Amino acid sequence: MSDRTDTPGAAAAAPPPIDATLVRAHGVAALVTLLVSVAFGLIAATSLVLPDLVDGAGWLGWGRVRYAHTQGIMLGWLGNAFFAFLYHAVPLLSGRRVTSVALGRWLFGLWNFAVMAPGWVLVLAGLSQPLEWAEFPLPVDAVVLLCLGLAAVQFLPPFFARGLESLYVSSWYIIGALVFTCLAYPMGNLVPELVPGARGAAFSGLWIHDAIGLYVTPLALAILYFVVPAATRRPIYSHFLSMLGFWLLFFVYPLNGTHHYVFSVIPMEAQRTAIAASTILGVDVVLVVANLLLSLRGAGLIPRDVGLRFVATSVVFYLLVSVQGAVQAQMAVNQSVHFTDWVVGHSHLAMLGFATFAAAGGLVHAWQRLPDAPYHSRALEWSYWLLVAGVVLMVGDLTLAGLVEAGAWGAEGAWIESVAAARPYWVARVHAGALVAAGFVALLVGLTRGPRGAGRNVVESGVGPAPVAEVSPRLGPLPSGVR
Amino acid sequence: MSYTVAIVAGVAFFALSIVVLGVWPGRALDRQMRDMAPTAPLLLTASEQRGRLVYGREGCAYCHTQQVRFLHADMQRFGAPTLAWETQVDYPHLWGTRRIGPDLARETAVHTEDWHYAHLFDPRALAPRSVMPAYRLLFDGSPLRPRQEARDLVAYLETLGRPRELAAPEGEARARDRCNCPGDAMAQMAFEAASINAHPARPRPAADGPALPPASDTRRGSNLYADRCAGCHGAGGLGDGPAAPWLSPRPADLTAHRYTRARLSDALWHGVAGTAMQAWRDHTVEDLAALATAVDRLASTDVDAADELGDQLARGAQVYLTHCAQCHGTDGDGRGSAAAQLRVAPTNFRQQRATASLTLAAIRDGVEGTQMAAWSGRLTADEQRAVAQYVRRFFVPDPSGPGAE
Repeated sequence: MSDRTDTPGAAAAAPPPIDATLVRAHGVAALVTLLVSVAFGLIAATSLVLPDLVDGAGWLGWGRVRYAHTQGIMLGWLGNAFFAFLYHAVPLLSGRRVTSVALGRWLFGLWNFAVMAPGWVLVLAGLSQPLEWAEFPLPVDAVVLLCLGLAAVQFLPPFFARGLESLYVSSWYIIGALVFTCLAYPMGNLVPELVPGARGAAFSGLWIHDAIGLYVTPLALAILYFVVPAATRRPIYSHFLSMLGFWLLFFVYPLNGTHHYVFSVIPMEAQRTAIAASTILGVDVVLVVANLLLSLRGAGLIPRDVGLRFVATSVVFYLLVSVQGAVQAQMAVNQSVHFTDWVVGHSHLAMLGFATFAAAGGLVHAWQRLPDAPYHSRALEWSYWLLVAGVVLMVGDLTLAGLVEAGAWGAEGAWIESVAAARPYWVARVHAGALVAAGFVALLVGLTRGPRGAGRNVVESGVGPAPVAEVSPRLGPLPSGVR
Repeated sequence: MSYTVAIVAGVAFFALSIVVLGVWPGRALDRQMRDMAPTAPLLLTASEQRGRLVYGREGCAYCHTQQVRFLHADMQRFGAPTLAWETQVDYPHLWGTRRIGPDLARETAVHTEDWHYAHLFDPRALAPRSVMPAYRLLFDGSPLRPRQEARDLVAYLETLGRPRELAAPEGEARARDRCNCPGDAMAQMAFEAASINAHPARPRPAADGPALPPASDTRRGSNLYADRCAGCHGAGGLGDGPAAPWLSPRPADLTAHRYTRARLSDALWHGVAGTAMQAWRDHTVEDLAALATAVDRLASTDVDAADELGDQLARGAQVYLTHCAQCHGTDGDGRGSAAAQLRVAPTNFRQQRATASLTLAAIRDGVEGTQMAAWSGRLTADEQRAVAQYVRRFFVPDPSGPGAE
């Protein structure tokens, strides 16, 4: 199905209208929830250095802001940014409108005012569930599920209208993400409340990896696969590799879960299965990344288009985080670095490096093509470089911290020595967090200040992205040899 | 056709992961629980359940794991690896994936209630370099006035690791029989743990500690003292650290005591059961020796001052045998016939000697937080003085130590 020669986009020479209001609404909501989530992260990071900053049992206690931080990033920032991207991309990919603008308004309202707002308030008030990546309480989970269902109704029918044979790989990732997140979400949020102890932990492990593997990664990859050809004005290097990567990902990703509980009581066979799957996943990602990097040939090491640059950097982070993941799942490595800041560094490389750069790239790309959205090039330049510096510093710092902690645990000596040894790294992490926060403020400025419609200037400057009408045809599989 | 392939393949992949990593391990875990669990699970009381909610709500599991892994490094620090049945009533599990503070799977009997309240209220009073948040809102202004949530939380902490301990050793033997799995390396590891709860801070009954070599590094000793001990015993050893008013019994005034090295080794290695004095087995013998030397140097010269003797001594002996020997033992070694029933072991006078005034005060007023009663109503002032002189005579100083005569 990947080597069909007709171009679906070509059928829609005049692509269906994109609802700019929904793109912008979700885009701004994404940036606002992002800044709130980062503020929670900064409070948590600072608390490790100044532990008497806030009372542990208060509204801003460490545990509570820790919950609010990750849920905010996963659902608030990435969720909204993905929706904004979908409103831009689905009409171009499918040649059809999304199901309903009214439904879109409902989805926006529910996601931000019935999931994020009450979720945060309840978690900070102490009504939460102590499950990783599932901290919002169950009533909020119900609304999340409802929204995921509505999102499927909103974005999937345009694809099905014309049959699956002619779908571009981004469309596959979007379909996969929306369908499987609906299935996986209850597994991490509900099942451990019903299935106790070790058996419940096995399901938690599945969800911890499915949250990143079936929700974040497919949608981030949909953005990468979309923006690269749209911005470089060339088709993707290999549609065969694209589809191979897609099917391998959906086969292997869910099988990774138990690698979060290596050396636990969960049967060793399950642990070994997950570790083997993690290794295969590393190989799969090399395929995907090779395909994307080859598609980026000629765009330059540091593309001039900021949207494309975010996306290209995301590809690099994706490679790093996946290879790191495959390595740290191995028992010899895992027994030392598990439970340390190494893993915290790993998840920041995934969510802040790979996913956030993809989401920011998708957002900037869509913004450039909105008729009268504010666009501030210099702020976006600042944003990119601040974020790169922040991510590199934070991940490098936390990785080193993890090694130091592992060393202290393995050596003779009291536990407190490992805490004391980590302190300088936690101080550095607060600074990295401040860089990241500054980068996100610049992103917000870049997309809400500046001349309206200025993104179009980038489009028309020649090396920048092409107008919307020219993008659509390039997103279909092309016969080999055609440029 | 392609719809079918895509949907079937996609859903099948997802279902496969659930079966392989969720359902099938669940069955194996069920089997293991059936084989190894005691006949009835130990359920939490209402208070402990409420405490568990506080633990979940405040994100305790995001810094403290509740899962000792099947790794020797973990077992050495925390005890036997966590078996499936130990968490069989955990809705939801609180295993955790990050360990900033120590694992809590075997927290039971490691710390006393008063220690927990003091630690939750002001962690840095007890461990100056701790990064744990202070949970003052769980208290009514002082660790001496815990709110219900603090009581519940501490009650819950006390349950961690308790079922396994209550089941042992009969439970361990039964589990080993029922499992009958010599080939299962992980199960064998669980059975072979030297002790179920090897938490290095857990106090044990008084016993001989390791022989402490002479310490030459006095700087190391005083640094360790400042970090580990000063919070309770005070920077100068007066027993007036920031946490001291919150503990019962109060931390010892180290300036008013002379201890033998064996006594210090015992107290450091085993802790002092029944008091907030935890054990420090995660320290090297060299560190403990340095600490012991630092403690020894805190003692004031008063502790070694000889009492003026006279016919008081005979009278003291008589009072001692009548009133004190049941607990403290006829020759002052703390092993009287009633000693085993006491929560805090009676003082072994052969290994430690307090100043005359402190000894007298203890006899007159008793020792709060222990079963040492106040004798002021029952013994005359002369009798109190006489017995105070008498018990101080039991002390057997180290041959080369400052207390040697």
